[in-house]
Amino acid sequence: MISSMKGRKLLIGFIGVTQEAIGVLTIVFCYVLYYNLFDVLNWLNIAAEHVALYVLILSVFGFVFIISGFFLIRELLE
Amino acid sequence: MKKLEEKRKVGLFQAVMIGLGGAIGIEIFVLLNYATYLAGSTIVFALLVCGVINLLTMLSFSELGAAIPEVGGEYSYAKAALGGFLAFLTGWFRWISNVFGAALAALGFAYNILFFIQVDIPLLTPLIASIIIIVITVLSVRGVGQIGPVIVIAFIAFFILLIVGGFLHGLEFSFSYPSTFAGASGVFATVAYTFTMFLGMRAIAAGGPEIKDPGKNIPRAVMISAVVLIVLYCGIAYVTVSVLPLDKIEGSYTPLTLAAEQIFGEAGAIILTVAAIVAALSSLSTAIMVQSSIVRGLSRDGYLPKFFLSPHSRFKTPHITIIFGSIFYILFAATGVVEVIGYVAGFASILGFALVNLALIRLRTKSPYLKRPFKIPLYPYIPIAGFIISISLLFFIERSALLLGLIFILLGVLTYHLRMIGYQRIRIAFGGMSLGIGGFMALFAYLLATGYLLPISVPSQFSTTVSYGFIVICAISILAGVLNVTAKSER
Repeated sequence: MISSMKGRKLLIGFIGVTQEAIGVLTIVFCYVLYYNLFDVLNWLNIAAEHVALYVLILSVFGFVFIISGFFLIRELLE
Repeated sequence: MKKLEEKRKVGLFQAVMIGLGGAIGIEIFVLLNYATYLAGSTIVFALLVCGVINLLTMLSFSELGAAIPEVGGEYSYAKAALGGFLAFLTGWFRWISNVFGAALAALGFAYNILFFIQVDIPLLTPLIASIIIIVITVLSVRGVGQIGPVIVIAFIAFFILLIVGGFLHGLEFSFSYPSTFAGASGVFATVAYTFTMFLGMRAIAAGGPEIKDPGKNIPRAVMISAVVLIVLYCGIAYVTVSVLPLDKIEGSYTPLTLAAEQIFGEAGAIILTVAAIVAALSSLSTAIMVQSSIVRGLSRDGYLPKFFLSPHSRFKTPHITIIFGSIFYILFAATGVVEVIGYVAGFASILGFALVNLALIRLRTKSPYLKRPFKIPLYPYIPIAGFIISISLLFFIERSALLLGLIFILLGVLTYHLRMIGYQRIRIAFGGMSLGIGGFMALFAYLLATGYLLPISVPSQFSTTVSYGFIVICAISILAGVLNVTAKSER
């Protein structure tokens, strides 16, 4: 019982932190995409008029990951 | 009852000082330039209208303050009269008003300190705002809140000196308007913009339980404070638009300093700048503490998370709520846009005022036998007029500020409903979203690996690596979803 709880804690810690990191990186990527840093639009062949849509989708994705990761980290810290 | 009577120690003069002390702040120093841009010389008339509109709702405040002797101001009144969502919204509006009020005060401080230190403002503003928060938090915690009677009298003396000096200097008042002047709607836009100049008078209502003979002294104190403020503010505006050309007022965030310089020379400008800095620090300190007490009140009533209530382990101060509000106001102060900040502060105050009038009407019908040491005259016409006029002013607020205000309302609605739904259900919902994203990622990785046409094209040498990346994200997402959905309820 104790070892399964410990295993869950470990998993929660790993998944929570990874999800937070992916969420933050996604938001950073939104910024890169929006300002076309490093010519990323050309590299990914994204039309300039579609940027707003990509940023919207990615930011929703990023925030869901950040919040979901937060729940896991909160459980870990309790 | 005897205890309450024993508590009543504040006389009429002190009550007036409380009202003036609450109202005199940074607003008159920083809002005048854009107000002049909107109304030109009719700013004097706009301030008169603004004062009268504020007076209507102040009477409602006074009745409620005397009848419900509790801390929390309009939030307490709305809680007693309206309850639930409307009470939460009233508290939320007051919080918005104070956060934007703090941002305005920080900017006022920054713009006035530039009189002594010449630095490029876009760089200086956020820096100063950040320093202020550290200093002011410490000061606020030590109880430096509203300005005391001596400083109130000093401010009134400064303002009278400015007005009298202006008249002695020789005024050349003429009706002049900016090229963008929009007539009556420009005047009402100015009323909405300068709304926050008078609203500190509500401190009289908050002090209601301590005021002697409240039936007589509260309305008198409100009336006297309103008249004094209207005369002072209209006089200052009159002198400023008379001694300075409109374009000079519009182009400066410290128009009163320019007016004082014009009338009294450099000494006048220095004195007025110091007064503005004191007013800014006082307004900032009060706004931070008030927003902190609102957040704690909302938290205590279960609308916001309980951790806001935890005091600092060593200093026993509400550090979490102070930091929480400060993050917002520093962000807004860092934009440096006084106009939008002023409008949003006015927007939230106007909505709060409308709800106070509504609370008064509701309480009269809900609790007709409640002891009311002071009753508003001409009921129900005054609160109805206060409500309708407040709501009407919203139509004159600038669109970007209105949008920002509406976003904050939306955030409030979201916060309220999320708290009502409960932590566990929200967690399950986000777990479900993670599972959905995981499934979507799996499909995306499959399409990328099999070379299907996608709305983006990844260079062929990276497509395998990217699809593996998607598989990893998919696995993380699904696992996170499962862990969140299967988490045991903690309550």
